[in-house]
Amino acid sequence: MNVTLQKKQIENPKIVSRSEWLGARKLLSAREREVAKLDDELNAERRMLPWVKIEKEYLFDGPTGRLTLAQLFNDRSQLFIKHFMMGPGQKNQCVGCSLEVDHLAGLLPHLENHDVSYVAVARAPIDEIETLRKRMDWHFPWVSSLHSDFNYDFQVSFKPEEMAAGTATYNYKRGNPGMEDLSGDSVFYKNAQGEIFHTYSAFGRGAEIFLGIYAFLDVMPKGRNENGPYHSLTDWARPHNLYGKGGTVEGNGRYHTSGCACGSHK
Amino acid sequence: MATAVQARNVDGPKIVSENQWLAARLELLVAEKEFDKQRDALAALRRKLPWTKVEKKYLFDSQQGTVELADLFRDRSQLITYHFMLAPGWSEGCPGCSFLGDHFDGALAHLNARDVAFTAVSRAPLANIEAFKRRMGWRFPWFSSNQNSFNFDYRVSFRPEDKIDGKVNYNYGVREFPSEEAPGLSVFYKNSAGEIFHTYSTYARGLDIFLGTYNFLDVTPKGRDEAGYTMPMTWVRHHDRYANNYVVDPGASFEEPVAKQESGPSPCCSKESKD
Repeated sequence: MNVTLQKKQIENPKIVSRSEWLGARKLLSAREREVAKLDDELNAERRMLPWVKIEKEYLFDGPTGRLTLAQLFNDRSQLFIKHFMMGPGQKNQCVGCSLEVDHLAGLLPHLENHDVSYVAVARAPIDEIETLRKRMDWHFPWVSSLHSDFNYDFQVSFKPEEMAAGTATYNYKRGNPGMEDLSGDSVFYKNAQGEIFHTYSAFGRGAEIFLGIYAFLDVMPKGRNENGPYHSLTDWARPHNLYGKGGTVEGNGRYHTSGCACGSHK
Repeated sequence: MATAVQARNVDGPKIVSENQWLAARLELLVAEKEFDKQRDALAALRRKLPWTKVEKKYLFDSQQGTVELADLFRDRSQLITYHFMLAPGWSEGCPGCSFLGDHFDGALAHLNARDVAFTAVSRAPLANIEAFKRRMGWRFPWFSSNQNSFNFDYRVSFRPEDKIDGKVNYNYGVREFPSEEAPGLSVFYKNSAGEIFHTYSTYARGLDIFLGTYNFLDVTPKGRDEAGYTMPMTWVRHHDRYANNYVVDPGASFEEPVAKQESGPSPCCSKESKD
């Protein structure tokens, strides 16, 4: 691109006139439109992905009782599942999942009026889920898959023996994911006959598009500014009520309070 | 976009085995990773944009009284101002901006922790802004540029004289625009010497990247589902205006939400009808 765009501005700012800035901005604008077009094309490919029929019956525990997968659709034809990384008894809240779901309160009325139901699912028991949900003041639907194979079938929880043998699959790669529970997002469709289909899943960086904050950081002079130790959001993200209160985060996203004396961050 | 690419599996579903699905998904994954690289490269280009120094003194109205542009940074070095379409005399904010506005509060604590101050700015008087903000239940800071030329300088408000042959200079080009207000987002940087620089502005479809809802819709079988609409966001309502009888008029176009002039008491309870 233009010679005026050679250096990262924040380190060595180049200050120009309004008209010179406009010239550079218009060049960038052309590139932004090209990337937006690539995004449209990618989304068209996503919509053309074939589906797999769900033959198994999955039962979830909600705050007021058992729910089938069909009931999670709540009279809509599309269901977005957030696989929240939280196993039974897990004390250390995942900062990435927490950041992701913090965005949901504002989006929910629009998704729900555009034929999309949103439900978070975790393997932790429903009472543990409810404790965290209330503490964080989250209001989206959240159920437990403790008594079903759901998390294992959609490859966000792993059996210890699979992990030991290196035969578990996460983010479409076989190996040992290193943890029993990880995060992801899956999409399902229910037709008029009540048949349910799995249409889409994303994990790892593939789920970054659901972190709205990155769109804002990507237009800031400092950008995402994730300079270590992990070069990901775990460098900085905290549960929204714990910024400025110390604590540490493991590279896998688990938050430890400032008073935590466990061995993982010694 | 809505008219360009419409193919979707939901219109004639192809149902396959898990293995076949996985093969198709892996192919898509390659395309997704390729796009990630393009988006990262674009973000890097944005960070290389030169800056312009802000020489003008802007005064905004806030609940704390009159404040300067520098005050909007609140001890942070980076500032986002969302140019929210709410002009003097409007009964409510633009529905599209309100849709975008629903994406701010969830990110706020995290943005603040990333050296980013976030604000909305509108030309309506502060009292109108505050009333609408209360109705929508939002918490993000929101300032009035009623007493300054901020909106005009950053090309999101147009005076009658700014219109030449019915066209205005908006989104880096001269074009027709149906309103006296337009949406946009601008970014500023304040250095340790207190100097302020304008680093970035984006408008119109350039704002789509901040609509996280679209990112969710984009991975669902129906996608954005806006085919045949006059405007892409024809389906969007203020979040308190979705109701059970919610219907979408595909031909609806943008109308400025101008407050209705009270033209005296209505006939049913006028003095005459009582007499």
